[in-house]
Amino acid sequence: MDTVSRDCLTLQTRRHFFKRSGLGLGAAALATLLRRDGLAAGLAPPAFRSIAPRAKRAIYLFMSGAPSQHDLFDYKPAMRDWFDKELPDSIRMGQRLTTMTSGQKRFPIAPSKYAFEKVPNLAEGAWISELLPHTRKMAKDLCIIKSMHTEAINHDPAITYICTGNQLPGRPSLGAWLSYGLGSTNENLPAFVVLNATWSAKRDAQAIFNRLWGAGPLPSKHQGVLLRSTGDPVLFLNDPSGVDPATRRRMLDSLNTVNAGAYERFGDPEIQTRIAQYEMAFRMQSSVPELTDLGAEPASTFDLYGPDSKKPGTFAYCALLARRLAERGVRFTQIFHRGWDQHGDIARDLPLQCRDVDQASYALVQDLKQRGMLDDTLVIWGGEFGRTAYCQGKLTRDNYGRDHHPRCFTVWMAGGGVKPGIVYGDTDEFGYNITENPVHIHELNATVLQLLGLDHHRLSVKHQGLDVRLTGVEPVKPVEDLLA
Amino acid sequence: MRNPLMAAVFLAVSVRVGGAEEIVFNRDIRPLLSENCFHCHGPDSGTRKAGLRLDLEAEAHAGAIVAGDPARSELWIRITASDDDDLMPPPESGKALDPGERDLLRRWIESGAEYQSHWAFVTPERPAGPGGPEAIDHFVRRRLADEGLAPARPAGRRQLARRVSLDLNGLPPTPEEVEAFLADRSPQAYEKVVDRLLASPRFGEHMARHWLDAARYGDTHGLHLDNYREMWPYRDWVIRAFNRNMPYDVFLTEQLAGDLLEAPATDQLVATGFNRAHVTTNEGGSIKEEVFVRNVVDRVSTFGTVMLGLTTNCASCHDHKFDPVTQREFYQLFAYFNSLDGDAMDGNRKAHAPVVRVIDDEGKMRLAALRDELAAARRTLEETIAGYQYREPDDSTEAGNKADPARNEDDKHSKPAEYRSFRRWLADERGREKSKLPGPLRASIKKDPGALTGEETRALQRHYIVHVDLEAAERFRPLREAVSRSERELKKTENSFPTTLVWKELPKPRPAYVLERGQYDQRGEQVPRALPEFLPPMPDGAPNDRLGLARWLLMPVHPLTARVAVNRFWQQLFGVGLVKTAEDFGSQGEWPSHPQLLDWLAVEFRESGWDVKALLKTIVLSETYRQRSEGAPEQYRRDPENRLLARGPRFRLDAESLRDQALAVAGLLVEQTGGPPVKPPQPDGLWSAVGYSGSNTVRFKPDRGPGKVHRRSLYTFWKRTAPPPQMIDAPSRESCVVRRERTNTPLHALMFMNDPQYVEAARAFAERFLGAPDDGIPERLFLHALARPPGPDERGVLRESFRRHLAHYREHPEAARALVAIGDRPSDASDPERLAAWTMVASLMLNLDEFLTKN
Repeated sequence: MDTVSRDCLTLQTRRHFFKRSGLGLGAAALATLLRRDGLAAGLAPPAFRSIAPRAKRAIYLFMSGAPSQHDLFDYKPAMRDWFDKELPDSIRMGQRLTTMTSGQKRFPIAPSKYAFEKVPNLAEGAWISELLPHTRKMAKDLCIIKSMHTEAINHDPAITYICTGNQLPGRPSLGAWLSYGLGSTNENLPAFVVLNATWSAKRDAQAIFNRLWGAGPLPSKHQGVLLRSTGDPVLFLNDPSGVDPATRRRMLDSLNTVNAGAYERFGDPEIQTRIAQYEMAFRMQSSVPELTDLGAEPASTFDLYGPDSKKPGTFAYCALLARRLAERGVRFTQIFHRGWDQHGDIARDLPLQCRDVDQASYALVQDLKQRGMLDDTLVIWGGEFGRTAYCQGKLTRDNYGRDHHPRCFTVWMAGGGVKPGIVYGDTDEFGYNITENPVHIHELNATVLQLLGLDHHRLSVKHQGLDVRLTGVEPVKPVEDLLA
Repeated sequence: MRNPLMAAVFLAVSVRVGGAEEIVFNRDIRPLLSENCFHCHGPDSGTRKAGLRLDLEAEAHAGAIVAGDPARSELWIRITASDDDDLMPPPESGKALDPGERDLLRRWIESGAEYQSHWAFVTPERPAGPGGPEAIDHFVRRRLADEGLAPARPAGRRQLARRVSLDLNGLPPTPEEVEAFLADRSPQAYEKVVDRLLASPRFGEHMARHWLDAARYGDTHGLHLDNYREMWPYRDWVIRAFNRNMPYDVFLTEQLAGDLLEAPATDQLVATGFNRAHVTTNEGGSIKEEVFVRNVVDRVSTFGTVMLGLTTNCASCHDHKFDPVTQREFYQLFAYFNSLDGDAMDGNRKAHAPVVRVIDDEGKMRLAALRDELAAARRTLEETIAGYQYREPDDSTEAGNKADPARNEDDKHSKPAEYRSFRRWLADERGREKSKLPGPLRASIKKDPGALTGEETRALQRHYIVHVDLEAAERFRPLREAVSRSERELKKTENSFPTTLVWKELPKPRPAYVLERGQYDQRGEQVPRALPEFLPPMPDGAPNDRLGLARWLLMPVHPLTARVAVNRFWQQLFGVGLVKTAEDFGSQGEWPSHPQLLDWLAVEFRESGWDVKALLKTIVLSETYRQRSEGAPEQYRRDPENRLLARGPRFRLDAESLRDQALAVAGLLVEQTGGPPVKPPQPDGLWSAVGYSGSNTVRFKPDRGPGKVHRRSLYTFWKRTAPPPQMIDAPSRESCVVRRERTNTPLHALMFMNDPQYVEAARAFAERFLGAPDDGIPERLFLHALARPPGPDERGVLRESFRRHLAHYREHPEAARALVAIGDRPSDASDPERLAAWTMVASLMLNLDEFLTKN
């Protein structure tokens, strides 16, 4: 598409249209057109925005299926001596297991087969597995939380829980809250964009759900917009074949004229809003292709993100798009990378998964840093829960599987006001229970909101008699220790 | 959220300015206390602070209020405290009272601080006033007069025809229907239109889709694999119920407890799918009890929301913070819904038991005929067998048998041995390690030959003759094959009828327990089935089960059922309910904009015998409904949601109506009621982008052909984890929703312009009129799309638009051909360039605000 000519068309015709229709824009439409940072000029910010933001936007690299913290971040050398020995009852303490392994006769310890190295950060260093060589290089940027925990033990409820604050479907997602709370800074792109990446593990991948980026009871304009790598990047973005931008423009001009007439008859400001939304749709038809056109990226970008970044749909490609979205002011980008559910055959699948994301995650953080954007862009990496210390299925020194484990898992964050170069929280010698500084998923979400300048407690909406919020009913606090 | 908030402010302000100086506790005070105080000083004993309750008059007066004396009332002192430590509500709660609200509380205390029972918990009584549609106008106008406003003039017949057609059938009127209405000068002209619409089968479809949001109907299980669930007979039951004007009390009773009726018909069982329509899972690793509890909680919450307009689910974890439902009472309700005779996990099967197979009358006849055929085939076989004389060969051990003993090994791949001797076969068969004989024979064969009874011997011999003996079996083969053909045909036909999920009650109910904090494994005391205490008791003689629950809901003194129902119907027509929070009539819900009107409608509805069509007819015949929707911008700004009803309803149509309307004006819509869900095209990859690789709904394969592609939208396959993209602002059907919102985004604009279904509709719309001269086409487009002719300006815009598009397509014929080729139905235009130009104009019509909106 010819972006320049389309932009020209936009400008000319908008001016022309508003002049010709003799239509003073009503306050409502004006507010829609001019809304920046979610607020029309002159309105006081709502109470939930009383916190000074440290980040303006966030990128969530969501590892769906639950990566094994044992094989990536939570180094437990003592477990080697426990190979194939029974997990002590004193550790398990009768905690519930999924029914995939609760019937197992034994719970034999499966020490990680991967080599760990302690790499320097800004504190005592961080142990990171050989599967993540690029991540190792950026330990100084990362705030690694080893003490994440949740209550859900199966994928569907757990991922719904961490993404929306409730295990049952129907609540607004993190991105929807950010869009609602902060609004958009780019009127030509949605405030919340979702990317679904391809993955390399061979096993069936767990499902994800539209509800993970849904708006629940918030207005649906806050739901995540899928940016697709096949077909129209945004649903129905492209004009049908046989309709070029000039034809579309002609159609819109006539449409606007008739709609303006309807406004004069009905007096309903919703008509003005509709005119404005059609104009924004037209602008998106150029802003989105411009966004996804990587032609102007220098070779060094692709070197940084790796060869996959040229292949639409890969995690590396999505990570690069996430940077481009951040540059354009999109509040929240969430990449879902599936395939992390290693109940068996870790030796085959986990390295494939790590290769998908390791270099690109590193590249994204470095790229943001180089552009001076890491300071106000929060990057989050992690899944919905952790994996067990004991083996599911057949155990050998070289291969094993791990079941779901909600009691501890690892998430890292970078940039955006988060304390860099630290490892936070700790677990026991089996990586089973948290021994220090637990961080509940609600607390992680509260912290994310806080970093973006939102009071997680006040950010609520009334729904079915409840004050619905991302962080649940019970009081929680952001984790101050994680803030820079 | 901004707009609704503004609306609330406008309303509140206008109420107070509008003269009602008198403070009404339920309207003015309860919402303030509920929002700001009840969290810590309300019904929930678990979070109550300082032992103070403000939800009960006696306790409030004993604690924090001195009637008539704000200065001595702790409540007043604390809400006006200057010290943050003393201030109520505490600043950290995020709640705050503004000066106007504080003033209201002061005046209320001064005037005696009287409480009223929560309005919605008191049985509605018919307020004095006229009857029929005039009652509606009476109450609406009284309110308007209070506000110093006057009703709008009546809408023109064209506007009214389109409005009422979209409201009652979800489809626009045809130009012929509009003309007939215009031509009918009788005083009943409008009423006749209404009657026609109420009698149309399209009525049931339109009503059903609203109910299906509430019933959270979907075509997949909704969790994890999200596999196909066969449930559409329930959807069709709902359509039929509305079309037959099933009284609402029967409608509720059959859905809640159809299985408990005496000798329930299949249809009444199908109705019980209401309590099975919630999402289910079969995720590996799930803990059954946890899934079980979630399923039951969903049923109770849905029952609460749909039937009672109460947010009972709040009480699943703790006593309700705002309404008098205790946690114990929640689990007492839970006890009515926990005894399903079936597995909590869905097994990823489309027929998650208990199910019934639904066979229509024609099907029953076909099956009966097939059964007769089968019986006849079997009879012939038996008769032939009976007439056959088997003779054991003289030398049964050797000459009588050609069998190669090596092939007698129990090897699946070898051909069965060929026998001429029963005795020889018997001996071989006995020697086999694994017999493949039918069950009953398998036991006999293992016995010592001497121990066989005569009957057993006969059975074995019969088997031998019919299936084994080289000569005899061959003779019986055609008969045998006739029987199996007939069996297969019967089975196939039986399986061709759909099943649907239904309720079946366990013979002995499961015990129910209070679950601490809602946790499935934190059982507290066991609780019986019982009703919340603040609502009326079970009617005398009613069984204490779901059937009793239904009777209870429908008893005349019940304060909620009728109000909640009429409010939803009102919301459907006017965009917003008289109680805006259609899902919550509790103290956190909104005070009704017209309390007396709501009560009048509720009593009228109940006393009419719960006649849904009559209720809708009364409403649409009112002058309130028939007002014109044109207003000054000032009017829209003052009351954007039209809560005061000073004009006719005007709001964007719901997703289903939008698509159906486009198909209808294009002449594409296939009006066929019921049947399996269909898959009109959608962009590639929407399902696979989210689906579990092993799910049977991970790949979307679009249907072809108008019978599937151009059906009404309520028949579109509803995958709950990735609903159809055309269903803008629709709930995902993962949980009960009784109120949709309406947003206005650029993504909608892109869809209406570019979705191939809409492009096809635009082209088909244009094709209808290609036989007419170009000058006459704008008129036709307008009449079909908007039920009115274009104004001179509009006609000019369309003509000019066509002229310019045509000039473009004459220069780019390949573009014209590409455009008109889009869609399921092929185009046979002789002049594709002219068609392409009109397609663009038709597309403009389908994108007009006036088209997307009910005016």
